[in-house]
Amino acid sequence: MKSSSGLSRRSLLATGAGAFGAASLGLSPRLLHAQTAVNFQLSWLHSTQFAGSYIAQDRGFWAERGLSVALQPGGPNAPVEPPVVSGTALMGISAADYTAAAVSEGAPFKIIGVAMQNNPFAIASLSANPVNQPSDMEGMRIGMALANTPVLQALCTINDVDFDAIEIVPTQYSPQPLVAGEVDCLLCWATDLPVAMTVQGVENETMLMADHGYAVHSQTYIVTEDSLANRRADIVALMAGEVAGWAAYREDTAAATDLTLAMFPDAGLDRETQLLQAERQVPLMFSDLTDANGFGWWTDETVAANIETLGLLGREVTADLWDRSILEEVHG
Amino acid sequence: MTHARQWIGPILALVLWEGFAHLFASAFVLAAPSAILLYLYENAGLLTRALGVTLANAAAGFLIGNAAAILLAGLAIALPRSENIVRALALVVFCLPLVATGPVLRILFGPGAGPQITLAALAVYYTTLIPLLVGLRAVPSDWLDLVRSYGRGRMTALLRVRAMASFPYLVAGLQIAAPAAFLGAMVGEFTGAERGMGVLTIRAMRDLNIEMTWALATVATAVAVLAYLAIGYAARRVLTEEPPVILAAPAAKRRNLFSSIAMVTFSTAAILALWWVGLDALNLSSFFAKRPDDLVDALFLAPDATQTRAALAAALSETLIFLFPGYLAGLLAGATLAMAIILAPSLANTAMPLAIALRSVPIITTAPLVVLLLGRGAVGTVTLIAIMVFFPTFIACLHGLRQAPGRATDVMRSYAASDMAILRHVRVPAMLPAFFAAARINVPASILAVTVVEWLATGNGLGALMALSASLSDYDMLWSAVVLTTLLAVLGYGLVGALERRVLQTYAPEQLA
Repeated sequence: MKSSSGLSRRSLLATGAGAFGAASLGLSPRLLHAQTAVNFQLSWLHSTQFAGSYIAQDRGFWAERGLSVALQPGGPNAPVEPPVVSGTALMGISAADYTAAAVSEGAPFKIIGVAMQNNPFAIASLSANPVNQPSDMEGMRIGMALANTPVLQALCTINDVDFDAIEIVPTQYSPQPLVAGEVDCLLCWATDLPVAMTVQGVENETMLMADHGYAVHSQTYIVTEDSLANRRADIVALMAGEVAGWAAYREDTAAATDLTLAMFPDAGLDRETQLLQAERQVPLMFSDLTDANGFGWWTDETVAANIETLGLLGREVTADLWDRSILEEVHG
Repeated sequence: MTHARQWIGPILALVLWEGFAHLFASAFVLAAPSAILLYLYENAGLLTRALGVTLANAAAGFLIGNAAAILLAGLAIALPRSENIVRALALVVFCLPLVATGPVLRILFGPGAGPQITLAALAVYYTTLIPLLVGLRAVPSDWLDLVRSYGRGRMTALLRVRAMASFPYLVAGLQIAAPAAFLGAMVGEFTGAERGMGVLTIRAMRDLNIEMTWALATVATAVAVLAYLAIGYAARRVLTEEPPVILAAPAAKRRNLFSSIAMVTFSTAAILALWWVGLDALNLSSFFAKRPDDLVDALFLAPDATQTRAALAAALSETLIFLFPGYLAGLLAGATLAMAIILAPSLANTAMPLAIALRSVPIITTAPLVVLLLGRGAVGTVTLIAIMVFFPTFIACLHGLRQAPGRATDVMRSYAASDMAILRHVRVPAMLPAFFAAARINVPASILAVTVVEWLATGNGLGALMALSASLSDYDMLWSAVVLTTLLAVLGYGLVGALERRVLQTYAPEQLA
């Protein structure tokens, strides 16, 4: 609670300073009324991965829509789905494959927005022994969380690569096994471990799996069917703030990075790493599709591609998993 | 001269460390002491704030956990019939794996420090409860007669006599509890926190920031060692003698088969009932809060029940392969070092601080380091488990060896027996009760170690299975793995207890009286 009151004070100052906010401050009667408090569950520790949301918070994009949003950080032991199911969080950040898994276990989720149009999964390798295309992995040792074995299998199936010719070494949370030569490549996020290696001066290559047919929406916004029916106005306001925040993020990733570091001085963030992550995230989040239709958008074609890849991951879903009505209202 | 010589060892070690760090800088494994110091200096503010947050949560958990232990112990003494069930429940709750309890606590508490404080409390209460139960009984019976002769009842005896008598035992528990509380608070931060030592540890691993990883480990070790020493120091100011070392309940008396079965059945029923009623009372969604009947369904009736059981069995065997050697190596190392110190007391100067440090470093900071140094294979995992098991065994064995009856050693000496012979014939038998007590309490500790390493570093076994099933919302699998892990701990505890009774019947029958 303490942090959220600190943030709203900050956001009032920021709105007072910003040209955009100046109009809303004082003029908007909603600011003077009690705001609806909502929790928004992020999928990982605070970092520029969620900088668009921090901008929405900081510039009052939610406050002016009558929401007081608390951004709940995730972590290595913080699954997103339970707080959303239980209603502790109104909205959470998941990914299509995790959401599909939760739905098959009985969670009543809908995907209402897609922040990462292109899946961030990548194969990272050292420049001296690079993986430039999926077939390069044959005969290599790959370090990855065993949990992601179906992901690698799907990539191999799509690209006709012999899965059995790749040796899987379980690793977690660190690029060190690649740097130390324990493995030849890593399955990780393009915006995460490779960035750490680059900043530490280790020359590396990343092969984005999305460029090789792996189509799974990531950083997706999920809500329950129940809140979609009963708390629609709050969800629309929350997504509208997100859309505005991420638009501002795209304008100036450096400012977004500085804001992240200023808001979370205790998170141990390194500016160079965070900035590079913020920059590498842009092509994953924004595309011709979002330029034409707006942030978070999808089409029947991208959903069909997702359903196909999810099928390879052993997740049978239908297009019903996605609900575009909130985005249509926001962008409409 | 002797003073100067004392410093040669540590200084040489530091110089070697520095040299190796520079030599192998490209492997991103070892940070040089100079680089660690520089990092600490440059980031003093960040580390101080993180430490403040984690310490505050650890302290809150420490107080709550120990208060709960004191209440439970009081209950068990005031109502002697409740003792067995209190003990059984306390052991089961202590054996619950952190990897799985964290997220559930996050749901229960919502945002804030709730899970951090609760995990810290859960990490400490058992090691306080057990010595207390012993201490509350360690009362000369004539004192109790005195209370009775004044016409006072059990309550007066508890508050006036037993509480005072148990104080040294309480201190012994608190000393072990301090580093454990710190670990609990750090793991709690993994369930979603904005700041703290746990948050920074994850950040350092991901960022390949070796200086930060080692700096965090240094700070965590220093704090844990200081807390351990401070409680010991405070205790010596208050107590007239060294606090006793009791790591586990004394071996249970031999019961007949019928009453043993009755006890196990009753405890199991109580646990199942608590589980069921608890989830309903907390109104937790059945999506993630699985009841016993959900697990029966998932494990035996569902169409994919065979796969579920196979996945559990595979994970269990992966875990056991590392668990056994690590556990045995830790016990052996602890007992060996204790005997070595008895034979060559000067060893204690170097060995004691090292042993305390090894034990106190929170496993989530050691895990990345040990894996960095020894690799992701068997050696790293086994070493880590051994480190967790080593210290309690060492302390308990040392205490036991020193308790050898003086008259027996005197007799041996008068026959000009060598130190080695005295050790073998007098001290080792005297050590056995303490050794087995440590062996029992180390069963849950080693399982905690192996699951944490699997989760954070190697991605194998039950630890990884629990993390994986949480991320895939496979909560039937998660709860099954929790039950399996807990059963493993409780069974291991019981097995060691049975072995203990066998051995003590021969070497220390008075313990079983």
